[in-house]
Amino acid sequence: MLRKLTPYLFVLPLLGFMAVFTYIPILQSVNLSFREWDFMSPTKPWVGLDNYRLLLSTRDFWNSLKVTAVFALISVPLRLALALAVASFLIRETAVSRITRGAIFLPTVTSTVSIAVVFSWVFSTDYGAINGFLKMLGFDKVSWMQDPELALYVIIFVNTWKQLGYDVIIYTAGLQAISMEYYDAAAVDGGGRFHVFRRVTFPLVMPTTYFLLVISVIDAFQVFTIVDVMTRGGPAGATDMIVNMLYRVGFTLFDIGTGSALAVLLFIFLIALALVKARVIGRRVHYDS
Amino acid sequence: MTPETSARALWIINGLTLLVAAIFLSPVLYSIWMSFQTSDAYYSGGVDFTLRNYDVAVGQYNFARYLLNSVIVSGIVTLLGISFATMAAFAFARFEFRGGNLMFGAVVATLMIPSHITLIPNYLTLARAGMLDSYAGLILPAISSGFAAFFLRQYIRGIPRALDEAAYMDGATPLKVLWRVIVPISKPAIFSMALQLFIAEWNNYIWPLVAISESDLYTLQIGLARLYRVNPGEDVIDWPLVMAASTITILPVLLGFVLVERHLVRGITMGAVK
Repeated sequence: MLRKLTPYLFVLPLLGFMAVFTYIPILQSVNLSFREWDFMSPTKPWVGLDNYRLLLSTRDFWNSLKVTAVFALISVPLRLALALAVASFLIRETAVSRITRGAIFLPTVTSTVSIAVVFSWVFSTDYGAINGFLKMLGFDKVSWMQDPELALYVIIFVNTWKQLGYDVIIYTAGLQAISMEYYDAAAVDGGGRFHVFRRVTFPLVMPTTYFLLVISVIDAFQVFTIVDVMTRGGPAGATDMIVNMLYRVGFTLFDIGTGSALAVLLFIFLIALALVKARVIGRRVHYDS
Repeated sequence: MTPETSARALWIINGLTLLVAAIFLSPVLYSIWMSFQTSDAYYSGGVDFTLRNYDVAVGQYNFARYLLNSVIVSGIVTLLGISFATMAAFAFARFEFRGGNLMFGAVVATLMIPSHITLIPNYLTLARAGMLDSYAGLILPAISSGFAAFFLRQYIRGIPRALDEAAYMDGATPLKVLWRVIVPISKPAIFSMALQLFIAEWNNYIWPLVAISESDLYTLQIGLARLYRVNPGEDVIDWPLVMAASTITILPVLLGFVLVERHLVRGITMGAVK
């Protein structure tokens, strides 16, 4: 009898906490998204799809969707191209490669808040490093984070700086898994370096690229911390990502219904992306065999 | 190219590579340097070493307490998280039981679930339980790691079953088999998962931001963000002080990173490529 219970006892703590803090909350979010509530009032009247309708009619929602989409459209290709270039350049296992890869990887484990604070200084108007250089070269100060045209690019820069190391590590593993035979064959054909990259490396590392593509799009739609510390979504909403809006609606406006509706929409979108990722991982196993 | 010139070219390429790496890290390196400078020296462009910024961060702004909070919360999350994940991984790897596959599916599915959908409901749950503004409120939502359970289950499946069976023959209980046979062999995998749990929790920002309003319970991340924003007007920020707080926030992970980088990288590539 006890024997039969054993595996259940082993999985109980993990699944218990998962149920309470992951699975039940999803249902609660869906439920709350159909209600109107402000954390305080004793009743939570059912309002059907009103929260969704309200959300889709606000400028804030479409703005943050646009900002997030622009962020993803620029930062994802940037990350992948840079990472593939760096990983290819550092592919040989020398001490210099390893140290450099380590340096690039370091920000991925470093506190995002610290990074955001440090780069707030780098880009600050009066005392920042960038404006300091510009001044040395005889240019005027630029208000990097206060200019609605520039602020999002600063955020993209900082996020790319932080995440690049992860992509490099994954690309390095992907590149090193490519069998030398392909390169030998290409060498026999007499291809130059660029030719080999285009015809051999790039297609064979494609599964890794797909994987990173989906991962980094999922990441892009969950950016919060850098924006919260550096710009709080401003100036004039220019860096207001979806999760920043979610936080504002839920925890400063206390509009639980609309906040939950936004969370549910983000959830559906990211689950769809994650399913694409699952299919990609399934396929990459068969790619090179 | 003669061997001599190609050797020289290699030196130059290596030198340039390291230089680029140094420039890449320079904002962080400079922030650490700045944290040891007096405000006067910094704003006038001079050099004047001091520990005063750390003194102020700890004495006036409570950063020793934030450090303690971060250590306690991340430590307990790691310990409980890795224990629960290892136990579940053992059950999924070694036992056939009704509902086992379904439960394992539910664990793996959490890898796809974005955590933000749980933000508002978890806030409500903990408010109802009276656990906002407490260590428990920071810890409990963070201790079920589907990724660690999944990763360790794969690892344990690679351990020969004959080892378990020999122990069972000697009359060991499943718990003993887990503790005496599986855990010692799985140490590298457990270690690399524990590292990832610790780093993720150490750097966690949005949940403590939501769950904590009492300043004695701030983690370093919240304390640093608040310090930076005490005076949002740019000319009144005391940058050397802020950088001292930032250095306190990153240093533990930075030092750990130098020691265990290889474990970290291996864990991440195994998780992604396998």
